[in-house]
Amino acid sequence: MSSGETIGPAVYDVPLPKEERIIPRAPQDGRYAPLPNVLLAQNALWVCRLRWIAVGLLFGFGLFTFLDGLPDFLGVKSRAMWPFVTAAALVFGNILFLFYIRGLEALPARFDIYTNLWSQIIMDLVVLTVVVHFVGSMETHIAFVYLLHVVLACIFFIPRQSLIVVATSCLLFLGCILVEGLGFMGRGGIFVTTIRTGPSAPGQIMLNLFSLWAILLAVWYLTSHLSIMVRRRDMQLMETNIRLIEAQKERTRHMLHTTHELKSPFSAIHTNVQLLLKGYCGTLPKEALEVLTRISERCRSLTAQIQDMLQLANLRSEAQQMPQSARLDVAALLRDCLGQVEPAALQRGIVLESDLQPVETFFVEDHFKMVFLNLLSNAVNYSNEGGRVRIECRLATDGRPRVSVADEGIGIPPEKLPNIFNDYYRTEEAVRHNRSSTGLGLAIVKQVVQTHRLHMVVESTQGKGTRFTVELPPVNNGESLRLETTHG
Amino acid sequence: MAKIMLVDDDLDLAEAVAKVLGVDGHKVVAEESPGKALDAMRKDPPDLAILDVMFPENSSEGFTLAQTMHGDSALRGVPILMLTAINVKFPLGFSSSDIDDVWMPVTAFLEKPVDLDVLREKVSAILKKSAGQG
Repeated sequence: MSSGETIGPAVYDVPLPKEERIIPRAPQDGRYAPLPNVLLAQNALWVCRLRWIAVGLLFGFGLFTFLDGLPDFLGVKSRAMWPFVTAAALVFGNILFLFYIRGLEALPARFDIYTNLWSQIIMDLVVLTVVVHFVGSMETHIAFVYLLHVVLACIFFIPRQSLIVVATSCLLFLGCILVEGLGFMGRGGIFVTTIRTGPSAPGQIMLNLFSLWAILLAVWYLTSHLSIMVRRRDMQLMETNIRLIEAQKERTRHMLHTTHELKSPFSAIHTNVQLLLKGYCGTLPKEALEVLTRISERCRSLTAQIQDMLQLANLRSEAQQMPQSARLDVAALLRDCLGQVEPAALQRGIVLESDLQPVETFFVEDHFKMVFLNLLSNAVNYSNEGGRVRIECRLATDGRPRVSVADEGIGIPPEKLPNIFNDYYRTEEAVRHNRSSTGLGLAIVKQVVQTHRLHMVVESTQGKGTRFTVELPPVNNGESLRLETTHG
Repeated sequence: MAKIMLVDDDLDLAEAVAKVLGVDGHKVVAEESPGKALDAMRKDPPDLAILDVMFPENSSEGFTLAQTMHGDSALRGVPILMLTAINVKFPLGFSSSDIDDVWMPVTAFLEKPVDLDVLREKVSAILKKSAGQG
């Protein structure tokens, strides 16, 4: 058979893996993606808010010129009306723009936002030119206020668009100077001493004009360049974030399959061993039953170990993506946990005591159960037969729910206490007492406690027992609420 | 005595479960393919379906089968017990609180490995409740 022949009716051409790289939305040639519509709409609203400052300044200056004495002392022309007129124009425009923005839908069309933003900028530039005329186009540095609009335009728009704002500012300033210079309007100026009747020298006009243009262009170039860099970095961060989220999802999917694939065979072994142990397949010799019991125990222990390993790995990856917290009934959840460890306690004649006051916490339910199931299991596992395990929950004086789990078991030597939260660490005494522990229970507890920045204390006396105390987060900013209903 | 359809691709486990439930007098039919199981249930609706979730060709085929049964007038009343190795503590895992009529129309969950006595008790409870409703 030649290599070119197919050998069956079904042919599947294995596809190449998909290109995983996310194509950046920011082109590399210096131009870059415009801001999203929602952000532009927020910016339009922000500019409206900023404009109230300009209105306040103009109105305040207008009032100032009506004061007795002080304007004369400072050489400022008194009783100016133009600040009120320009402030009124800004107020009128601002109300219209705000009304327009509020009327936009949650996902506004690009055209609507651009119309709004450009209308705002044109209005500002025209009003500013009027202010420049009245304050003094040649005698003061008021024309540099155009810079504010250039910077804002660089933030909102791509460089080509912000350059239009620069050009408009330059042209309006030129128009102002020409109108004044050609005598169509009298010379403005707020200072009595700078009021001149004749035109300024052409050299001064050109110097002022070109220096303003040059500064506007320089600021435009620097700000738009900076804006490009900031936006590129934003895009890179966004891409990295998307990749991390995807990687996390893939990892979670992988872990789900791993859990299933590892647990399934153990489950089948466990079930079949139980068939033999419980006599479903007839009576077995005592020695065979003992061997089967050992197999069953190791099987159960391996399953628990797989679960703990996956749980710990998952907790460590969750540290970046915290699950949602909710108001939790501490006592009710602790009763659930007690119910889960009760069979093991009964088997060894261990008495479970509880004093659970009705308090709430704001926490992740799964994490809560991980902590207290592990602490309770530990207390039961390391208690002596016929011993006592006590769990208490109450509201501390600082308003935080405090839960303690205490046993009268083997205890932990003081020098080994700092190590008990390490992965797979087990003291010699613990191994002698209970061989089947996974060595990961307290590592899981520590991971949850550290992730939520909880305060946990361990007290232990070798041969007498151990107590773990955990302070939980309060509900509603530090005030844990007592439940109105009491639980029995 | 009840007719129970057991759908699980792990035949070692399926046979063991069938043997245990057979002791209580139930007639257990084990199928490793959800498609074949659905055909068989449509011909002869069981009193209870025990479903695995993850199958080799589809990792959520057990849910799909449960949803199909829920949408089938002949099988809608059949109680479903999910018996799965997916860890209920896992973020993508699930528990009784996730049961709903649309996404997860099942009666109860048990996580593998399951204690055989617990399984027998659960099956009896579901069948008793189902008979009471019927």
